[in-house]
Amino acid sequence: MACAERQSLSVATSPPADRHQPYEYVGQKAMVVAAHPLAVEAGLKILKAGGNAIDAAVATAGALNAAEPFASGIGGGGFMIIYLAQSRKVTVINFREKAPNKAYPSMFTEKGEEAPAWRTTKGLAVGVPGALAGWDLALKRYGTKPLAEVLRPAIEIAANGYPVSETFSSINKDEYEKILANAGENTVYLNHGLPYEPGELWRNPELAQTLSLIAQKGIEVFYRGEVAKKIIQAVQEKGGLMTLDDLANYEAVEVEPLHGPYRGAEVFTIPPPGSGLHLLQLLNIATHWPLAQWGRTSALYLHHLTEAMRLVFADREAYLGDPDFVQIPVAKLLSAARARYKAAMIKPDQLLSAYWPENSESETDVGNTTHLCVVDEQGNAVALTQSINHFFGSGIIPEGTGFILNNHMDDFAPNDSGPNCPGPGHRPASSMAPLLMFREGKLSLVLGSPGGTRIFPSLAEIIINIVDFGLSLDEAIEAPRFFSYSQAGKGRPLNLEPRFPAEIIKELESRGHKITLREAYDKYFGGAQGIIIDNKKKLLLGGADSRRDGFGQGY
Amino acid sequence: MIESLATILVILGASAQPELPQFSPPALITSAGQNAEVQMVAVLAKRAGLDHNLNKLATAEDLSGQRTLILVLGASLKGLGAAGLDISKEMDRVKGLVEAARQKNIPILCLHLGGEERRGAQSDEFIKAFLPAARMAIVVKSGNKDGLFSRICQEHSIVLVEVEKTVEALEPLKKAFATS
Repeated sequence: MACAERQSLSVATSPPADRHQPYEYVGQKAMVVAAHPLAVEAGLKILKAGGNAIDAAVATAGALNAAEPFASGIGGGGFMIIYLAQSRKVTVINFREKAPNKAYPSMFTEKGEEAPAWRTTKGLAVGVPGALAGWDLALKRYGTKPLAEVLRPAIEIAANGYPVSETFSSINKDEYEKILANAGENTVYLNHGLPYEPGELWRNPELAQTLSLIAQKGIEVFYRGEVAKKIIQAVQEKGGLMTLDDLANYEAVEVEPLHGPYRGAEVFTIPPPGSGLHLLQLLNIATHWPLAQWGRTSALYLHHLTEAMRLVFADREAYLGDPDFVQIPVAKLLSAARARYKAAMIKPDQLLSAYWPENSESETDVGNTTHLCVVDEQGNAVALTQSINHFFGSGIIPEGTGFILNNHMDDFAPNDSGPNCPGPGHRPASSMAPLLMFREGKLSLVLGSPGGTRIFPSLAEIIINIVDFGLSLDEAIEAPRFFSYSQAGKGRPLNLEPRFPAEIIKELESRGHKITLREAYDKYFGGAQGIIIDNKKKLLLGGADSRRDGFGQGY
Repeated sequence: MIESLATILVILGASAQPELPQFSPPALITSAGQNAEVQMVAVLAKRAGLDHNLNKLATAEDLSGQRTLILVLGASLKGLGAAGLDISKEMDRVKGLVEAARQKNIPILCLHLGGEERRGAQSDEFIKAFLPAARMAIVVKSGNKDGLFSRICQEHSIVLVEVEKTVEALEPLKKAFATS
């Protein structure tokens, strides 16, 4: 249904039975979109109780730990970008995990062939979690409600449980081996030792208790108290380096956003170690092409943007790291001249022979994550992306706590030198890029997505779908996606959802692209959620990705 | 008519099961497609008290000393990536294994437990390539909505057992090894 037709509808209309059919949630005052209906409900509850967008975002984030436990939670970290309507200020809270202080550059490379396992399923894989610190910082600086109140919906979800969705079941099955090995057959994350089937009831009383303890005693109990001790015990039992001091010294930080133009709009997003930089680079390059003329499913568009992705990934390999420890030439990478040069390099009918620079290897191509957006009645907005990295993270669960520890140490580069090698207290490079877009000085789009290295390319495609191809938000989200990258100078296959026309796929192959066809709505490409603020019609229009359990609601 | 009756009997449930072919342990368990379900089959095998060896990258040499090959069907791009394989290399691995089993007269039991989610062009390649070599197949019903398993099993006289969910595969698995 077209965006314009939504105006006349009641805000109470329901999504279609076919969840892949584009559908926009409509609101007039406020809205929450997230990867699970229970999490959306949590955010709305807080808004209706007088909370602002920051309160609601933290409530939704906490609820996602209970409702979508395989994708994020207090065992992980993330980023949020906040818009404060009254002061017209945009700010970022960085709650990305940190490497333990005992981390060192060769901590993984010295493991030889066993490095992949150490990076993902053992104690070395776990970064110092930042989620609670980030939520707490955001609430203290910009919220109006205490953490105890905004965590209440999450506690109820974990305690009461809910029927498992097809998404949950499918991911539970995919990660079965890891869960079995690290959490055991009796874990709450398995149903009597086997994955949950859709419709089966899942409850997590231990998580409910942990969140209740935090609500009662504050985040100190997590970073310095009894939960901290359980985290360290679990990590060290599996060969990790984290200590109580690492947890006690963790801090989330507030930082300035990055921003850049795209066809008359201004896009605000997160700085390094997030990938907002690379999202802006991709848009800078794309702005040189007549995309609307080429068409959304044209080989010209797919080819050019794919080559641009490979060039941007080459920059990412060379430069992205923790800005607290490495110099990142942000201005140079975002310069108009560089974008013009990169756009001109790309040949319309063949692939580049190499993608500069060539001097390092990229992070492994995984990572999953979740995203939520909130707009409140005052016009404040939050786009929050958070994660435990792989689905079900490291699979390590501190005893009796019910939450999963991340494996974000795997986001450090596989080599032991370069801007993104492991180091004490370093935050690993992240693909996250939650964003706010402004037109004529007014907030017009809140957007973000999970999906590992596919995050910022997918967000660029969604923005291009809206701005260049005139799609509504959910049409833009549901439209077929594509992704490629480069590694050590070489282009990697082009991953496509097969919903592109067959003749276009053939044309791409004739240009030299090696094609990998994914599923029609593949969660490999992420699960974007967004809200458009229609300032003329005074409407909020939400889009939620059917690749995961995306949902929204407004009032 | 009799064949149709057998199919209906399979669908109706355990009490109406047709006579199952008998297999002997030890069983080599591997996947055809690097799916996650192969690990679940190993857990079910353990619960069934079945002497077995799980080897996700099994080749012909690993059949030595084994009396049954259990092949868990379904492609996972994630699993293939983790194993450093692509579809073509995995196909070659399983082809070699199935051919070796045929030469040694080692019977094959196939399972497809991923349901509808574990269907699609790539999974179907493995199903069509290797299911015909089986004597018996245990399949989660939602994976057979289009009748692919029914058709192949009927064409090749393979006993097909449908179950509603993964945990229900335990009973037919136990019965298939019951007299060993």
